[in-house]
Amino acid sequence: MTSYQSTLAEEEGIAEELAEAQRSISIAEFFEKNRQMLGFDSGARALVTAVKEAVDNALDATEESGILPDIYVEIQENDDYYRLIVEDNGPGITKEQIPKIFGKLLYGSRFHAREQNRGQQGIGISAAVLYAQLTSGKPAKITSRTKGSADAKYFELTIDTDSNEPEIEGEDTTSWDRPHGTRIELEMEANMRARTQLHDYVKHTAVVNPHARLELREPQDQFKFERATDQLPEETEEIRPHPHGVELGTLQKMLDATDSYSVSGFLQGEFTRVGGKTAQKVIDNFRDRHFGREMAWNAPAAHEEADVEAAVSEAVANKGAEATAEFAESVATAVADASAVTHSQIQGIAETAAENVADAYDTTFGSTVRQKAVEAAWEVVTDERTADVYALVNEATTDRKDDAHVQGLAERVAAKFEDDEHSHDRLTHDQVDDYVDRAADATEEYDGATFGETAREKVLDAVWERMATVPDEPPNIGAIDDDRDTASELHEAMREADIIAPPTDCLSPISDELVLAGLQKEFDADFYAASTRDASVHGGDPFIVEAGIAYGGDMEEGSSAEVMRFANRVPLVYQRGACSITDVVKRINWRNYKLDQPGGSGIPNGPAVIMVHVASTNVPFTSESKDAVANVPEIEDEVERVIREAARDLKSYLKKRRSMEKRRRKQDKLATILPAMAEKLEEVTGEGELHIDDSLARIMNNVLVDRERDGETVRLIVENNDDTDVSLELTDIVSEDPGEVEDASVVEMDGEYFVKWTTTVTAGQEASIEYSVDGDATFDVQVEGIEDEKLSINA
Amino acid sequence: MSTDSDTQSEADAREQLIDLAAEFYDQFAGGEVPTMSLPTRTKSNIEYDEDMDVWVYGDRESTRSAKTVSGAQKLLKATYVIEFLAQQLEEDRSSTLRELYYLSESFDHEEAQFTSQDESNQLIEDLEIVSDVRREEFHMRPEESGATVMGPLLIREQTRRGEREIHCQEDVGEGGYQIPNNPDTIEFLDNDADFALCVETGGMRDRLVENGFDEQHNCIVVHLKGQPARATRRLTKRLHDELGLPVTVFTDGDPWSYRIYGSVAYGSIKSAHLSEYLATPDAQFIGIQPADIVEYDLPTDPLSDSDVNALESELEDPRFMTDYWEEQIELQLDIEKKAEQQSLAARGLDFVTDTYLPERLTEMNVI
Repeated sequence: MTSYQSTLAEEEGIAEELAEAQRSISIAEFFEKNRQMLGFDSGARALVTAVKEAVDNALDATEESGILPDIYVEIQENDDYYRLIVEDNGPGITKEQIPKIFGKLLYGSRFHAREQNRGQQGIGISAAVLYAQLTSGKPAKITSRTKGSADAKYFELTIDTDSNEPEIEGEDTTSWDRPHGTRIELEMEANMRARTQLHDYVKHTAVVNPHARLELREPQDQFKFERATDQLPEETEEIRPHPHGVELGTLQKMLDATDSYSVSGFLQGEFTRVGGKTAQKVIDNFRDRHFGREMAWNAPAAHEEADVEAAVSEAVANKGAEATAEFAESVATAVADASAVTHSQIQGIAETAAENVADAYDTTFGSTVRQKAVEAAWEVVTDERTADVYALVNEATTDRKDDAHVQGLAERVAAKFEDDEHSHDRLTHDQVDDYVDRAADATEEYDGATFGETAREKVLDAVWERMATVPDEPPNIGAIDDDRDTASELHEAMREADIIAPPTDCLSPISDELVLAGLQKEFDADFYAASTRDASVHGGDPFIVEAGIAYGGDMEEGSSAEVMRFANRVPLVYQRGACSITDVVKRINWRNYKLDQPGGSGIPNGPAVIMVHVASTNVPFTSESKDAVANVPEIEDEVERVIREAARDLKSYLKKRRSMEKRRRKQDKLATILPAMAEKLEEVTGEGELHIDDSLARIMNNVLVDRERDGETVRLIVENNDDTDVSLELTDIVSEDPGEVEDASVVEMDGEYFVKWTTTVTAGQEASIEYSVDGDATFDVQVEGIEDEKLSINA
Repeated sequence: MSTDSDTQSEADAREQLIDLAAEFYDQFAGGEVPTMSLPTRTKSNIEYDEDMDVWVYGDRESTRSAKTVSGAQKLLKATYVIEFLAQQLEEDRSSTLRELYYLSESFDHEEAQFTSQDESNQLIEDLEIVSDVRREEFHMRPEESGATVMGPLLIREQTRRGEREIHCQEDVGEGGYQIPNNPDTIEFLDNDADFALCVETGGMRDRLVENGFDEQHNCIVVHLKGQPARATRRLTKRLHDELGLPVTVFTDGDPWSYRIYGSVAYGSIKSAHLSEYLATPDAQFIGIQPADIVEYDLPTDPLSDSDVNALESELEDPRFMTDYWEEQIELQLDIEKKAEQQSLAARGLDFVTDTYLPERLTEMNVI
């Protein structure tokens, strides 16, 4: 099944509309006029955009074929131009595929699938090809080798600016050292002034694509980004669009393209989360919009003069007295049974009654007869409209309304229905609104009443509520497709219906594990945290946000933290200030998380990187250049939550780090004071040398490992001076054989004996092991499980 | 005092200091945290010793422990000072508190150096308390306080240049006899005195001497020079204890001056460990009393905020919790005025010697 999707934020939709109006001008001229939108507004930006398009393309090509990407980007200075070379190890392309991949620019009929993909981000590689061609006059040089083929193919490709079709000019066979893949070479007018953004783009790409190997070679420099995982991102399921997530333009395209005939089939076939029931809800909404509703009136009560049975009886001629009486009674009973009836309902009643009576009396009640009967019954039912309207108005307005005013309004509304004789009281919502408004205005004017907005709305709602959806067949798809207003009615009907949120398994987040791997790979930090939220929905589009934080290490102290933004794994390197991700980062109180934040808001200071990834089938951008995520409350809330989750880990890390720093400072200070004191004490008292490690360990609440030796007996004592229990693994490497050691294991390796002892020492207690060893033995003790700051080894 | 006993006490003092160091040494050797405990030196921790009739420290203790960086610094400083004092005693030399402060600059460890003189003074007091040795016995002197005595008293002073017999009226100039740092080097030989009068200000002392008050009333005039030094208080106590002279104290009429009386009579909070040795519990307060301000209609200054705070703090000071002081302090808080000794001159230069003092002293049954 095909599914088509485009949104306001998408190039094709906009571009198509723009181009529509400009068909008479050349594609080159169009490109020139819309450079900014396409990301080629300056030579500096053009280079970054071209790299971005080519790399995104390469990543998609490799991943779709289940290949771990290995991408090489080279920028060469070539006289007046720059030459951009991008190589991938994808499946390669054949000549036939070229038009598809370098598809028609702008007029392209390619819609975006409702899928989380990179392609959503950009205008595509064809724009880069066109830009190169327009500025340097040179064709794009493409080398491609498919798996298993002996040679590589070489093409020179230009885009015909009149027909907007790609054209292959040179074609040759060549040899290439990659077993498979594609290489594209573009020569263009450009400069390296946006080098920072270029580097950001490549580095950030490496962070969110830890499964990719990237290499960037510039005229003066070279960067390599190695792979951190062999795990390819999960393939994303393509899902049909959700009725709440499509724009009118998209809906029209879908109407145009679908094979369905009926609205019901179209809804169920083209959208996610729409079954028979939901389709019926949408269709009812659509009917109400397209046809309007019919007003239902109460049948006259027994005591009233009007009599349905008599009227119907009178209207039917030449059908035999008994059959006529039976028919009239049957209609009258059904009308009386229904609490209120519309014209269409009476028609239905009459048809049923006619069939039943016709069967019983072997006579036919033709459409003319039925119509007469229906009109007769309708006349009786609508004979007295005011009472019905009065009941509705009375209920809808407050008790404090003057009864005369209620009556006045009811009479005037009823009169509006009466005035329009041929409609059978079928009205659109707007018409009813108009009735109520005019009636209320008149009542205010002549009766001196007041009917405010709220009261009018309540009356309108009450009347609309009483009115019934008509049974008419909704227009078919063809008819809707032909008429923009009808399509709009369907669009509104879809929007209004309650429909469960779209499925979220179509998204492929990076996962917190790989976010960590990506950060660890590219940032030499002391601490990393990552968090991935569960999927949520905005409009009709599911989305997932992820955040990662790296702190400390080699990162620069004192400047603002770096904020990395990603949408569907593509780095956003421009328009930082316009992006809602940046807004969220700025409004979080980072002081809560122990980061420095001058003024209590804004980007925090410190050696930190904060990354946020928004994955969605439709990332909402602020503009066509797709550099900044728009302020969508649902997304902002999730972004804030995910950042806070990661920041909480940062907070506990920084808290611990600060307390350890404090402890270290104290220990450093005491380590200068106490030995000096001990030395003085030795002088004053004239006693022997003092060992102060035990005292120091006690002061620092440290865990103290002590060794006592008495001849051949060796005792290792662990003293826990802290107020919490500690678990540790102690390894004593002994040069002589200690034999069996109680509570510990002994392993011999290269003539050394590893005495391994695992124990838990409760707060304030000590534990020990003891063994015998030859007098000349040397020892080397190592302890795991305790921070260095909290450990004193005196053994 | 004989040279023998001197050497003896010096040896004792030295012994005590070394013992203290040995205590720290043992704490280290035993793997313990070196600690020094001292009575808490605040007014909430002084109590009246009924036997001695003086105020001494109570049971509350504060601890200087190497568990904290500041505690470790204090102990390091204490160790350095112990070494210095032990050496000073061994060489039979002495130094002043101020010299100790400057001398710490030469300590080889930066952390052992004092940051203020208050700190070094306090440390010496700490050491006095824990070792139970007075600083005089460490050969630590304060700066000369310059306090003097004038009156019918014959003494013999043991000076570094031999013994001197001095009559404190006939052998001295207008300035009087200067009290040495260690008044225990003085021996009382003879006296014609009826009582001792301790005066806060120099101006008033000079007035009394000029008017011949000491001769007229057979009175030993002791100049306190503000808050009296230990030596002045020690001498005053000896005048009372050894010569049986009533001691009276004459100061300004403000809260700070009441504290001067308090330290003569009850001992100071900082040196409560020495109260037994320094305080003269029988010392009587002459004035200026708040009641005098009213009675003699003296020229006054208004009480400042800090004066009021000091008065209120005195109401909570156990040393001033007597009916007399409560009445006087309440009165002063009520009239919101204070007066200096010299304000008596408003009634004539001889008013103080001819009228005020005779009246007060008669009232107090001193003359």
